[in-house]
Amino acid sequence: MGSSGSKLEKALGDQFPEGERYFGLENFGNTCYCNSVLQALYFCVPFRDQLLDHASRTKVSGDADDNLLTCLSELFTQINSQKKKTGVIAPKRFIQRVKKQNELFRSYMHQDAHEFLNFLLNELVDILEREATASSKPTSGQVHPDKLANGTANGTANGNHHHSVVTWVHKIFQGTLTNETRCLRCETITARDETFLDLSLDIEQNSSITSCLRNFSSTETLNAEDKFFCDKCCSLQEAQKRMKIKSPPRILALHLKRFKYIEQLGRYKKLSYRVVFPLELKLCNTTDDAPGSEAEYSLFAVVVHVGSGPNHGHYVSLVKSHNHWLFFDDENVEIIDESVVQTFFGSTQEYSNNTDHGYILFYESLEQKH
Amino acid sequence: MAAPNSQSPSVRTHFKTPEGRYKLSHEKTHPTSLLHYSHGKTITQVTLAHLKDKPLQTPSTSSSSSSTGGVGARFSAARLLGTGNGSRGLVFGGGNGFSGRLTGGAKSTTVSTGGAGVSNGPLASSYDGEGTFLIFNVGDAIFVSDCNSQDKDPIKCLHFGNANPICHTYDPDAKDGHDLLIGLTSGDVYTASLRQQLQDPGKKLIGAMHYNKDGAINSSRCTSVAWVPHSDGLFVVSHADGNLYIYDKNKDGSGDVPFPPVKDLAQFSVAHARSSKSNPIARWHICQGSINEIAFSPNGMYLAAVGRDGYLRVFEYAKEQLTCGSKSYFGALLCCAWSPDGKYVLTGGEDDLVQVWSMEDQRVVAWGEGHNSWVSAVAFDPYWVAPPSGESGESVTYRFGSVGQDTQLLLWDLAMDEVVVPLRRLGGTLSGSPAFREPGAQSARWESVQPVGILHPAPVRKEVPKLAPIMAHRVHAEPLSSLIFTKESILTACHEGHVKIWDRPGVQGCSPARNSDSADVSSKEKLQPAKSGLSQFKQ
Ligand SMILES: [Zn+2]
Repeated sequence: MGSSGSKLEKALGDQFPEGERYFGLENFGNTCYCNSVLQALYFCVPFRDQLLDHASRTKVSGDADDNLLTCLSELFTQINSQKKKTGVIAPKRFIQRVKKQNELFRSYMHQDAHEFLNFLLNELVDILEREATASSKPTSGQVHPDKLANGTANGTANGNHHHSVVTWVHKIFQGTLTNETRCLRCETITARDETFLDLSLDIEQNSSITSCLRNFSSTETLNAEDKFFCDKCCSLQEAQKRMKIKSPPRILALHLKRFKYIEQLGRYKKLSYRVVFPLELKLCNTTDDAPGSEAEYSLFAVVVHVGSGPNHGHYVSLVKSHNHWLFFDDENVEIIDESVVQTFFGSTQEYSNNTDHGYILFYESLEQKH
Repeated sequence: MAAPNSQSPSVRTHFKTPEGRYKLSHEKTHPTSLLHYSHGKTITQVTLAHLKDKPLQTPSTSSSSSSTGGVGARFSAARLLGTGNGSRGLVFGGGNGFSGRLTGGAKSTTVSTGGAGVSNGPLASSYDGEGTFLIFNVGDAIFVSDCNSQDKDPIKCLHFGNANPICHTYDPDAKDGHDLLIGLTSGDVYTASLRQQLQDPGKKLIGAMHYNKDGAINSSRCTSVAWVPHSDGLFVVSHADGNLYIYDKNKDGSGDVPFPPVKDLAQFSVAHARSSKSNPIARWHICQGSINEIAFSPNGMYLAAVGRDGYLRVFEYAKEQLTCGSKSYFGALLCCAWSPDGKYVLTGGEDDLVQVWSMEDQRVVAWGEGHNSWVSAVAFDPYWVAPPSGESGESVTYRFGSVGQDTQLLLWDLAMDEVVVPLRRLGGTLSGSPAFREPGAQSARWESVQPVGILHPAPVRKEVPKLAPIMAHRVHAEPLSSLIFTKESILTACHEGHVKIWDRPGVQGCSPARNSDSADVSSKEKLQPAKSGLSQFKQ
């Protein structure tokens, strides 16, 4: 157990970052989808900090309401407080909680890492929103200042109005898209904003993530069956629609849609396309007046799908911590060179020996004003 | 023009530009059976080499006559595979019409000799005339193809064994015959005579000088190599750790005395060899992370370097000083190239953009938007003749090309009055008075230069004039890695080592280099002194 750990310690030598822990996660039978996402999130520093903070607060208040949030913060605390610098941890309680919460993840089938990320973040948001509304009457003396305008939150309190509370999950992952529709008859532009915690991008062979983002925001014409109801014209009209980023998130999570439903086959197929992603990125698809539209992002984690099909395979993750890149494969942790990241771009041919493909990319904004 | 990223596997064999139709003439590739992929895949780079008519005095293959072998730089053993091969070459030699092939017989011998003793086949031994050759690397090998032949297969294959050759260049004016310069993944560097390789039937580099042996001075990957123009034997090798070294091929020098450690990795610094006999003679620490490509300005005055940190840096070579430069929009820069007049530097990189840096304005004057992935090679078309302009006569138009990992070749026209003049607002012509320059733009006159070493930050998206390509064409099925303009054609190459030759409009036949003694300017050969008066441009 400790052997791989000590190897990693040796590799890092005196460069081992102060206070950092690199622990593999035990696999409980096809739980690599979970492990790979957990590692990416553990090394998402603002996210980890919030969870460690949450754990220390619930400990003080003795409030041991068992939910996904407490299980995750316990797990992160457990990793963070290990005496050893490296090793393996069994995320047993957390996995049990995930399976209890969602029957989708109960089976031993291969699961989708992106679905899991989605489920986890939304679950955390729900718990935090419930906590925030419940704690309008201060419970533990210190209410976490993550609540937007108390008044409005209270006003719509009955649990059915989401997004009235801005949780720290929102502050970390949430961005805003603006959906602009221009009626081709009266030229009126209707803008509708929507928030996102990650962006799911269609991919093309031999393209870049920049190109995928550009396509995501390219102008689409609504016509024929798909006309737009213009409020001004009071009728269905042809229109042009495009979706741009109005407010870039602090942590940009990009999901590459590698699993595509092929109608002729009646099943999902994995797209092994080569999609290059740079270590630094700027968003090319923001609105002109978006604050932070020139903000630079830095890649810090990649969830990688290994395998040629959608229903089987394996997940691993690449993580950047203190300027070192690490490779997490369930129990195993290895240090890798930065240049190894590019071996996970995908393949230029459909049938290739290389089946390790970047699936979810995590970029962190280098601008501090969030 | 839009740049569609077609999913269709078919690649059309022609493309149209305002001046006419470019047609696929022929392709060059390599027999995969001869490759040893034991060291992982490499990206193919292409060098165009023009051997002159006059046979140069080539060093003999026998080590006894090699007096140039030095202490640190030793000759790599010319391991001939037995005299049988040699005489076979002679037997078939002399027939110019017979172009040696690697396949066929070679394949069958592979089996009998266990792959180790594959003959290069019946090589024509009379490579003492003129000829134009394509040099490209795949896996652990360097292949040489005859440009004047329609034959798909190379005439020569050189295996390196322990490491992969990944960058190379050629100096047509080399005095002592060592015109070929090769850098390896291990950091090792070789110089050798191309003609000598062609005349030898073996599969190993022969008569070569070996530098940085086993990475003794720097064990990181070589990333780019360049002969210093007009220097008679100086060359520069850049490495993946942000250092570049200047070597003198005329020096025996030992590499026993390495350079002191770089003190500040974030700063540009130059260290000279302590002994005048040492080789390399100098180390420049350029940046943190890899240097990805270097290129000399045509007159040899400036050296451009691009790298992992996203910066283009331009140095005054003789003064060892950082002159100017700027950052990509984001991500690493992967390639750079000079305009034939030395006024502009193209860069391409991970932001999918082609940037045009003006040496006079000291700023990015245009962004080429059109690639759907990273830009892997850029080059000006030195043979482009601008169509006659209107009344002013001052509209200077440049043609350049770029290839990307999106498998596309893009061609661009840069009209100076469209791009540069609006930027200056009042400036007028290219040599306009510095008094009218915008704040922030540096003076064009080198005499009144700014403080040394100004690097501009990444431009703001809204503020850079955008260019659209005049042509976008998917030229290969795989990501592209190399682009060369010749007088008759455009050469493109993909990662996997396939080279395509696209004839220019009006060019008939298929010899891209027929009798042309013109400068073969390539993205990998910017170091060549331009021969047609281009080097006489004032700087
Ligand atoms: Zn309308």
